[in-house]
Amino acid sequence: MRGAIIGKIHELMKTNDKIYFLTGDLGYSVLEGIEKDFPRRFINVGVAEQNMMGIAAGLAMTGKKVFVYSIIPFVTMRCFEQIRDDICYHNLNVKILGVGSGLSYGLLGSTHFALEDVGIMRLLPRMAIVAPADPLEGSLMVKEVLARRGPVYMRIGKKDEKQIFKTPFPLHIGKGIILRKGHDVVIFSSGPILHVVLAVEEKLRRLGVSSTVVNMHTLKPLDEELVRTVSQGKKAVVTVEEHSIIGGLGGAVCETLSRAGGFCEKVLSLGTNDEFITHIGSQDYLRGKLGLSVDAIVDRIVSAVKKQPHG
Amino acid sequence: MYIVHYYLFFTMRKHFISTDSSKIEALKKNALTVRRNIIEMLVPHESHHIGCSLSIVDILVVLYFDILAIDSHHADDRKRDIFILSKGHAGAALYATLAERGFFDKKILQSYDRNGGMLSEHVTTVVPGVELSTGSLGHGLPVGVGHAIAARNDGIDRIIYVLISDGDLNEGSNWEAFMFAAHHFLSNLVVIVDSNKMQGYGEVKEVIDLEPVTKKLASFGWNTYEVDGHNHGELIAVFEKVKKNPVQKPHFILAHTIKGKGIPFFEGKFESHYKSIDASVQKEILRTL
Repeated sequence: MRGAIIGKIHELMKTNDKIYFLTGDLGYSVLEGIEKDFPRRFINVGVAEQNMMGIAAGLAMTGKKVFVYSIIPFVTMRCFEQIRDDICYHNLNVKILGVGSGLSYGLLGSTHFALEDVGIMRLLPRMAIVAPADPLEGSLMVKEVLARRGPVYMRIGKKDEKQIFKTPFPLHIGKGIILRKGHDVVIFSSGPILHVVLAVEEKLRRLGVSSTVVNMHTLKPLDEELVRTVSQGKKAVVTVEEHSIIGGLGGAVCETLSRAGGFCEKVLSLGTNDEFITHIGSQDYLRGKLGLSVDAIVDRIVSAVKKQPHG
Repeated sequence: MYIVHYYLFFTMRKHFISTDSSKIEALKKNALTVRRNIIEMLVPHESHHIGCSLSIVDILVVLYFDILAIDSHHADDRKRDIFILSKGHAGAALYATLAERGFFDKKILQSYDRNGGMLSEHVTTVVPGVELSTGSLGHGLPVGVGHAIAARNDGIDRIIYVLISDGDLNEGSNWEAFMFAAHHFLSNLVVIVDSNKMQGYGEVKEVIDLEPVTKKLASFGWNTYEVDGHNHGELIAVFEKVKKNPVQKPHFILAHTIKGKGIPFFEGKFESHYKSIDASVQKEILRTL
């Protein structure tokens, strides 16, 4: 996914000389093409994320469109106040490219996990948040991110994300995409875990439970209307994400539905719990351990549907 | 190092002598008006941040009335010089200067620190002429660095000035920016330190001693200068010197200032940061300015 997104940015930099690309000393073997072609507009700021965000703000104030690249905790948490004060407060065209969503860096340990980033970024006024599900959606998203006025946080995976989409499709920030239609449950998915969710839908179908699957590639502004519409009349509303169940997609959907009222008894938010994960493993291994495998998700949904008095 | 300093001092003095005395007189008047404006803004509402606003008045006046290439009628001219106030808590001083320089109606100053007003204590771009909203320390310089890179890449001949405080120098983000700016030879970037020797909870040398700060910056690859931050002639000289310096490095000016400058019983006093002044003595202060 990362390669496809960087490739798209590289391509756009050829025709748009306002685009700058800053990195916090990461991106070895991925960014060299941009560096070679645009030595002035590619800046390795060094391991100094606060300075990097300030520089991005200064550049954007002169009309540049600035991508800022690093691993998610470094590019969202280390420099949170710079994002808030310098970028969001001034409503600048800075596009934060956070690599390694959720458990992508599962073997590197908790410092490199990204499980709270959506929660904190959602709090920032003017910040839009997108989380593409596969390489194609990622590269389509780049154009949308660039076209949007103001700050955007693009939460992306790493590499080897499963290809889900085969041909280009219309994509708009703030508009969720219904991928499957069913009447029993609705499952909202965010990011590369979508391929797990699609497998969940298939398995549920075999078990006699039909699901609507929505790709919520935009976490903010949330497509609240779609959330309300597709949740209507379902036996269960489910959210699946590689993020804490606090503050992410699950939180956003709960907020939307409880504010609207009267949709369902409960939202089943699946993600990581409010704790640090002290073991390591590949992304798939950790998903299994944390209840985010296809089978575990299916079990949770089936029991939620059964518990419904009218189910 | 000392020889360089001596030489610098000497050339600055020479420049000072040759500076037009009527210009200095005019600046003196501007500074007096700005100080009056600040007192009229802050005292009636028992506002804070008096001392740290008064310590930068002379630096601001010299910049805004003599050095900066700016036009109050075209505040967003893309070739203008950029001034960033990183010590946002001295917003009152910048507002008073901008109003005096014609960026907005002086009447607006009365809304400082008032319910429903637009002039927050910490400087905000809501106010015409302000380039960056600040308030948390350590933000101004990195943003200034971004401006400096853009100007260089775009071939725009502008200078970016960033005024920071002693307390600002505790922030790691500034030291990240010091390293970056020197590495990239950003000679269009000028940092001025309002060195009033005090910070939030006490004297600088008691909290985190910065000395020898100019030596530190010189070793980081910056051109360094020291001036009396209340002497208009010296300030003009150092800014002119910066513009002519052929050494392609960013510039660091340590301006020695006095907190509360202009109010005798506040000068050099730590409490001038937080304490407000009883409105009954306002007239007396304005008389003795």
